[in-house]
Amino acid sequence: MLRIAGCAKKLVGTASFETQVPATRVLSRFYHERVVDHYDNPRNVGSFDKNDPTVGTGLVGAPACGDVMKLQIRVDEKTGKITDARFKTFGCGSAIASSSVATEWVKGKLMEEVVTIKNTEIAKHLSLPPVKLHCSMLAEDAIKAAVKDYLAKRGSATAAGTGEKSATA
Amino acid sequence: MMASKLLLQRRLFRFLQLSPYSLCSFSSSSSIHGSPFHSVKATEISSLSTSSRNFCSQKSNLVDQFHGPAPIDYSSLLQEGDFHRLAESTIHNLQEKFEDYGDSIDLDGFDIDYGNDVLTVKLGELGTYVLNKQTPNRQLWLSSPLSGPSRFDWDQDTKAWIYRRNKAKLYKILEDELEQLCGKTIVLS
Repeated sequence: MLRIAGCAKKLVGTASFETQVPATRVLSRFYHERVVDHYDNPRNVGSFDKNDPTVGTGLVGAPACGDVMKLQIRVDEKTGKITDARFKTFGCGSAIASSSVATEWVKGKLMEEVVTIKNTEIAKHLSLPPVKLHCSMLAEDAIKAAVKDYLAKRGSATAAGTGEKSATA
Repeated sequence: MMASKLLLQRRLFRFLQLSPYSLCSFSSSSSIHGSPFHSVKATEISSLSTSSRNFCSQKSNLVDQFHGPAPIDYSSLLQEGDFHRLAESTIHNLQEKFEDYGDSIDLDGFDIDYGNDVLTVKLGELGTYVLNKQTPNRQLWLSSPLSGPSRFDWDQDTKAWIYRRNKAKLYKILEDELEQLCGKTIVLS
């Protein structure tokens, strides 16, 4: 599985951080139980059809940096509420957990609300250590990118319908 | 020679921008112009990628560069070798300053560790700072107990590491936060 392969690769990668740490500090380096839970039981893994007009797709990160997240939202056109979400993440356990949490938190909320989700909230919820705060920022960016994509798609669709040109985001 | 290289770079830029699979970097640059060059595709295109990737760092120059065969200002591009030199010198400077700072304040659990290009500064109960190089993006990444994660790009004009989202300078952030946390000023420049 890509997720496991990605996570295993990243676990190997992160081991280098830990070789410098004396044995007495190893305990504080374990993943928090919430992170382990999201890794063992990830919520909302999967994909929507990105061409579906009710779907917004946020793709952030870069393999060269070690983390890639794809977060998709399904939005109810009439209410602007996010009815469903899916994610796929390549990266470390913290990145997987952050994006899994993100998909949980966006469901049932308005788009205006979810763009206010802060990486600090995700990091706090998962008790992420300092070196992993960047994973939570990635998740925040993924949410924003998904909303932006949905709005851009809707913007061009509306403009196309009325025969006008629109500037895409 | 210059013109053909510029043409190739222009084609490359267009290709990366239009690619449906281009990845948006999570770097501090929120502009579409900036993102494709920080993606994996940029790293696959070896020699050209270094220079083309850095066009995005100079957003204001980008439009100018691609209007006609204007000469490229190579002095403003951050090559990988330069990045390593600048980043390492910044990190070493900070390490020294933090060590002196630690000696001058009486803080329980103060500790500094530097290994694998990662600088970790523990301020006991007050929290931990982590600063590391993110070479693919040519960035320095900071994790702060006060301001969370941030990413800094080298700005040639001001000769400083800048977080594009809020235009903040790395040194200024660290100075302000350390003073706030530990109650004593530190000068990092």
